[in-house]
Amino acid sequence: MSDLRIQAGEHSAPQTSPHGAKLLLLGVNHTTAPIAVRERLAIPGHRLADATRTLADQPGIREALILSTCNRVEILTVQDGVDQETAELRAGLQAPTLNVIKFLHDYLQIRETDLQPHVYEYRERDAIRHLFRVASSLDSMVVGEPQILGQVKQSWTVGREVGAVKTMLDPLLQRAFSVAKKVRTETQIGNTTVSVASVAAELARKIFGSLAGKTVLLVGAGKMSDLTARHLIHQGATTLLVCNRTEARAQAIADALRTPAITTGVIPLDQLHEQAHRADIVITSTGAGQIFTPESARAVLQRRKNRPVFFIDIAVPRDVAPEVNKVDGCFVYDIDDLQQVAIQNKAVRNREAEAAESIVTREVARYTDRISQAPVTESIKELLMGAEEVRHQEMARIIHQLSRDPLTPEQLAAVDRLTKSLTGKLLHPQIAALRDTASEPESDD
Amino acid sequence: MTLLWLRLAVILYGVAALAVLPAALYNRPRWRHIAIPAAFMGAFFHFVSIAETLYAAHRALPVDTHETLSMLGLLLVLGFLILAARYRTVSFGIFLLPIAVLLAIVPAFHPGHEQIAYPLVRTGWILLHIALLLAAYAAMFLSLIASLLYLIQERRLKEKRAESKRGWLPPLETLDQIGVNSLRFGLPCMTAGLLIGSVLALQSIGPAFFADPKVLLSIAMWIAYILMIYIRSNSGLRGRRAVYLSSFVFLVMVAVWAANSLSAVHRFKTP
Repeated sequence: MSDLRIQAGEHSAPQTSPHGAKLLLLGVNHTTAPIAVRERLAIPGHRLADATRTLADQPGIREALILSTCNRVEILTVQDGVDQETAELRAGLQAPTLNVIKFLHDYLQIRETDLQPHVYEYRERDAIRHLFRVASSLDSMVVGEPQILGQVKQSWTVGREVGAVKTMLDPLLQRAFSVAKKVRTETQIGNTTVSVASVAAELARKIFGSLAGKTVLLVGAGKMSDLTARHLIHQGATTLLVCNRTEARAQAIADALRTPAITTGVIPLDQLHEQAHRADIVITSTGAGQIFTPESARAVLQRRKNRPVFFIDIAVPRDVAPEVNKVDGCFVYDIDDLQQVAIQNKAVRNREAEAAESIVTREVARYTDRISQAPVTESIKELLMGAEEVRHQEMARIIHQLSRDPLTPEQLAAVDRLTKSLTGKLLHPQIAALRDTASEPESDD
Repeated sequence: MTLLWLRLAVILYGVAALAVLPAALYNRPRWRHIAIPAAFMGAFFHFVSIAETLYAAHRALPVDTHETLSMLGLLLVLGFLILAARYRTVSFGIFLLPIAVLLAIVPAFHPGHEQIAYPLVRTGWILLHIALLLAAYAAMFLSLIASLLYLIQERRLKEKRAESKRGWLPPLETLDQIGVNSLRFGLPCMTAGLLIGSVLALQSIGPAFFADPKVLLSIAMWIAYILMIYIRSNSGLRGRRAVYLSSFVFLVMVAVWAANSLSAVHRFKTP
């Protein structure tokens, strides 16, 4: 294997895994690797269980989880903490990293040189932070998108089923899910849409509520209008009408979008104004000038008994006169309006992402504190139990010695209190020292 | 004890009214978990208070002004809870809950002693008369609020603003449904309530009852109510015009409510 340098976390961090185990996260994502690399690393759903099991069976690996999505492939492992200074160890690489690289090499037949510039590595606290950020969708291509949490949960389920996610990764992942939920509920990171098509669909929902059963009229043909129509259909619209200068082209679009659940139809251009009232949402993209004026819009509304109409005007020059927006019941959004809303929504998302980062930072600190305190808590518990046992033995001995002239219940209670108090005071410095030791940061490795 | 339950209900309504602000205006779902249970518990204690009052007075209906206002407050809170369950929106609470607090706070801290000067109050029919009319008032009020919220949402969409604090508003079509369905619920309540009241008044007062100002206003209110439903259903009236129409009918209803001082039939007396 050739030399491999990996982008590491920004700073070394205290060990956060008990019993000398090491937490390590290796991965590539949309920012570090082109799709050509990501697709070679991607593990399809039906192979995920086998891959996770194989990874967990590697020497030195105690627990493992593989997250494979279209934008990232990440491997999270808990490994034995003893550094294996073996012949395999390369400059800059440690045994845990090599274990994962070896798995990738063996399982996916990927050479290290292909991975070299793209892989990032996080350890201990940095790995926890990265996992929390990924689950909270702060590391996603579209920040705040909701799918990633489901994908992490899917990997976690598979990991548990094959026995690769156990005592250390299980609580860590469950914590990641609750952090993600907290980010969603305490910030508005997922409440806004950021693409033109999704903004249009979101606006349509603001007008009509559910889009189920709604009719979309596509006037003209274009990539953006087609994409928007598809988005609206995906959101529940069930009827699509197409009107185009060339009827054959209109028919082709209608045929392309027809499914058993979607009814489509073609409207001849000369009947557009007579038929437009059938549509709840009108998408125009002809650029042929003002097809809809306030007068024609009022006529459409009248036929619809004033039920609202949403005009999405993607054409330049505009197909719908801006004054139509002033007609009660008509809502007109042109391409600039939609882009403007998308930009504003992006700004809202970025602002919320900052708040979400604070939540993640706080939760990482809370989680690592709890983990680092866990062995100390166990030691303190053992110390207290030992002291209590000695106290009980001594109490029993003194009661036995005084059996001829026994203590009154009040005296016995006073002695009991005295011994408890003495034990507590004598142990206090040791317990405090243990707690101090646990909260001091250790160097990684 | 009765007053204690009512005061507890007022406090819970107050908590719900405050919690609903961040829940709706700032889209903080956590506050929903305070607003809805607080309103529910408030409604429960309010119901207990009313039931105890009526049981202690050996009657089955509110007869003094404060009791009636208090019951209207309870109906508004129930309306809020139904909308929260049916349409997953707490936006109506911004208006309904503070009004419920105001309607219940007076009987909670200054209970009244007025009573209707007729022996009929102990009959079940008069209970129906009052309950149905109160339900119609509450439905009309809900419809008015739905129309106002429709107007706000419509303006927001026309002004093309990005998701802001006012992302809390339900979709236009939902608001329209709430408005129309409230009216459709209110109409049979009002019709039955007025019919029952008329029959009872005819029995106890005779035809002179129809010359009573409150009765005349009530008939006008009923006609306005029917006209409003007809116009909204047939022309699909929405937005500004719907608000104007709802406001007009609501004003007529307030006038009918306030006409007690002019009415010989509905005059209250202090025992």
